[in-house]
Amino acid sequence: MTDVLICGAARTPFGRSERSGREHGVAAATAALADAGIPWSRVGAAFGGSDAAGLADTLVADLGLTGLPFVNVKNGCATGGSALVSAVNAIRGGMADVVLVVGFDKHPRGAFDPRPADWGLDDAYGRDGLMVTTQFFGMKIQRYAHDFGITPRTLALVAEKAYRNGSLTPEAWRRKEIGADEILASGMVNDPLTRFMFCSPGEGAAALVLCSPSVPTRDAVTLRSAVVRTRRRGSFEVFSPVLEAGEPTSVSRDAAAAAFEQAGLGPSEVDVAQLQDTESGAEVMHLAECGFCEDGEQEKLIGEGATEIGGTLPVNTDGGCIANGEPIGASGLRQVYEVVQQLRGRAGARQVPGAPRIGFTHVYGAPGVSACTVLAR
Amino acid sequence: MTPTGVTLPAEGTLWTWTVQRFAPKSPPYVPPADGFRPFALGYVELDGGPRVAAVLDVPDPAGVHIGMRFRVEETTGVPHAKPVEEDS
Repeated sequence: MTDVLICGAARTPFGRSERSGREHGVAAATAALADAGIPWSRVGAAFGGSDAAGLADTLVADLGLTGLPFVNVKNGCATGGSALVSAVNAIRGGMADVVLVVGFDKHPRGAFDPRPADWGLDDAYGRDGLMVTTQFFGMKIQRYAHDFGITPRTLALVAEKAYRNGSLTPEAWRRKEIGADEILASGMVNDPLTRFMFCSPGEGAAALVLCSPSVPTRDAVTLRSAVVRTRRRGSFEVFSPVLEAGEPTSVSRDAAAAAFEQAGLGPSEVDVAQLQDTESGAEVMHLAECGFCEDGEQEKLIGEGATEIGGTLPVNTDGGCIANGEPIGASGLRQVYEVVQQLRGRAGARQVPGAPRIGFTHVYGAPGVSACTVLAR
Repeated sequence: MTPTGVTLPAEGTLWTWTVQRFAPKSPPYVPPADGFRPFALGYVELDGGPRVAAVLDVPDPAGVHIGMRFRVEETTGVPHAKPVEEDS
């Protein structure tokens, strides 16, 4: 298959501000085009979206009315990943040779607020207090920790690393280091997860410019694969009144395996990775689900610092969702932006040493969707 | 084909659990008349059957552990489960 290049990448500062989600989107798109050195008039197609901040194609009012096809994507946590896959296919299919991908969002404070009927559930699940996403995260890592010996201390170390890496990332939201003891003592939210182990809904945008190899570029990174998958039977997901017995399946495992297969590379070749860390437990479990270790090895790996910026497999070098928050539409593209900067050697104070060559990104979200990419220098 | 019900065993083993430590957003949540108190919830793996999400009616949420025996009961709302005294 034709290679697809990422020749421009940008993000905005995440967190909370007076900016609208759409304004974030315009800023990220404009900055990604400037990074690529490609004018908007040269872009042949665009794909993008937000979960809660409006339609991406309204950006043309600011970017320019060139008449290009602009497709809105709304796919939950996989919004960015799905836009990216669409852009790759647009280039491979010959629709355009330069394509913009943009994701942005802005969410109100506090946990997401789903309605039972939207999930096909009886109103009783809301009335009786079971429509709370954080419960699922607590219950998944509770079982995993029981089966594979993951301690609360390790969960705290994941968050400690996130805040440390966030302190090195100018655009991160949480930029103050927080130690493991303080994280453990920050108040239980849903056992075994404490307050500082969770990310928060926030705002921000990220954008990428993709092109075919025939387009002159500067400092481009090759997108070796981009994959989106939905869950198979037997997976453990949020808001499930009933689960099948037996070993759960994993959509992250499926998406990661497909991304590595399409890239012709394996997890052991990855120099820098981004894994969905809605909370500490997610990063621990996704290390195994994406193929970077066996179940249970995380306790030792994280304790030894393997996932730190100077470790054998740096994970979430920008502080991940925990330090950046989760503007749903932007989150997956933020991950790709970070890996692109790492592979270009442009990650500043958080740069992974030794000129990393292969990168990986992984998004996971409700109701059982995952998007993964493999990138190469 | 008309849908038919399946009778599940009422007892099983706790597969996983957590504690809801903060009051969920209202609406949709309706707290008890005497106010919100943290409550335990989890999945009970029914003997030879599936795992069912239930509120765990236990005196002390922190005393819950994986492997505990529970009996799931139908209510007017979501399923509730009560600990089963194990034979010693």
